[in-house]
Amino acid sequence: MAGQLAIHVNGLSFAYAGGPEVLHDLRFEISAEETVGLIGPNGAGKTTLFLTCCGVLPIATGMVSVAGLDPAIPRDRAQLPTQVGIVFQDSDDQLVNATVLDDVAFGPLNLSLSPDEVRRRVNDALEHVGLKGFEQRVPHHLSGGEKRRVALAGVLAMRPAIVLLDEPTMFLDPRGRRELAEFLNTWPSTKVVATHDLEFVLATCRRVLLLESGRLCADGPAREVLSDASLMDKHGLEVPHSLRK
Amino acid sequence: MTLAFDELEAPDSAFAGLDPRWKLAALVPAMLATAILQSLLMIGFVFAFSALLLAGARLPRRFVVPRLLALGLFLTPFMLVLPLLEGRDGLLAATRVGGKASAIYFFGLVLTATASFSRTVQAAQGFGMPRLVARVMLLSYRYVYVLADEFIRIRTALRTRGFRNRPNRTSYRVIGSVAGTMIVRGAERGERVAWAMRCRGFDGRCRSLAEFVTRRVDIAFLVTVVAVVGGALAFDFHIRS
Repeated sequence: MAGQLAIHVNGLSFAYAGGPEVLHDLRFEISAEETVGLIGPNGAGKTTLFLTCCGVLPIATGMVSVAGLDPAIPRDRAQLPTQVGIVFQDSDDQLVNATVLDDVAFGPLNLSLSPDEVRRRVNDALEHVGLKGFEQRVPHHLSGGEKRRVALAGVLAMRPAIVLLDEPTMFLDPRGRRELAEFLNTWPSTKVVATHDLEFVLATCRRVLLLESGRLCADGPAREVLSDASLMDKHGLEVPHSLRK
Repeated sequence: MTLAFDELEAPDSAFAGLDPRWKLAALVPAMLATAILQSLLMIGFVFAFSALLLAGARLPRRFVVPRLLALGLFLTPFMLVLPLLEGRDGLLAATRVGGKASAIYFFGLVLTATASFSRTVQAAQGFGMPRLVARVMLLSYRYVYVLADEFIRIRTALRTRGFRNRPNRTSYRVIGSVAGTMIVRGAERGERVAWAMRCRGFDGRCRSLAEFVTRRVDIAFLVTVVAVVGGALAFDFHIRS
């Protein structure tokens, strides 16, 4: 599995209806089981990039290939949820059901799995995120960190080969952040982590893509890119504390 | 008082274990039948029965008392005005209204407070409620609290900047802006929620893990409620004729 191409972006450009282009001719590849950090200032296009890869935003054919599927082709787009999962920036956007159990089961049920298989996956997912026993809790009574874990469990339960995480450390306390980093480091899926938390990128990603104004400005080893002070400064970022001399 | 129909903290109630479908089948017709009753005797009888059910549900006092007070507040104008306007007839009418409303309210509390809202809605699907309607109800229930939280944050932000709601043009303008902001935020969130659902494979079909198992006690509950309220209704017709 490792070494195969998980995400292939070939000349991706995108503009929202009636607006200017927010992604300009992006080109990069991510191999299977690679963990890549996606960094950049606010408005760089990180979330938009994720949404194009998931087939949510319409793009032209041939621009993106995710697990061999083209999000622009309806037949391929219908299969995308089996291959790629996304953890949204705001967990409340993702927790759409009245209980934790119903929400984590939502994805597997949509895959037409048997009830027994769905329950098995839900149990596994909740155990992985440390929320066993939370099945009957209601989302609006959960803390930010707990909601984030439920959102993660909901994606885990679908067992995608590729996971896109949009600001995963938001609302997490230091312990939650550390536990998430440890979890990501043991999770074998291909992962792309979009975040402003550069220390978290250092802890979890070997490689970094730097985006600004919809353009790919850097692509290289995480330590190398993040320790380049002039590059960071030029794109509205800062060298993480742990890399400063 | 919260409107949240959440799981109660360990309700020590036999009714919590009942299959929600049988509770729906028993209590919804009971509420409708109660609304039809006319004779004071039968209204009093059904009221007593509903109060017995409510007591048997063993709901927490902190849940029940505020709701009873709210009911009392709602009924007070009827109980005061009708006798004043109509004398003895008004008093009888007010008693009928009060008795029926209370009984229906008690049945409703037993129905909604001894099972989670989501489970009750899922049970309703078994009675022909379209899955799409159930999905919309559950989504609305889920997100009304999110929108309420956003409104509270906006209101707090206004107050920390010195805004106080007064009957003047400035206040009306601010209220209008807040209302518009809530609508826009609601629409934006709705779009993101739709994206999130599609990313998890939602194709418009509503699926559920809900499982319901019928036991003898469920049937016994239905039979009891139907017998009591149905009998009261039959006797009510007999009295009237």
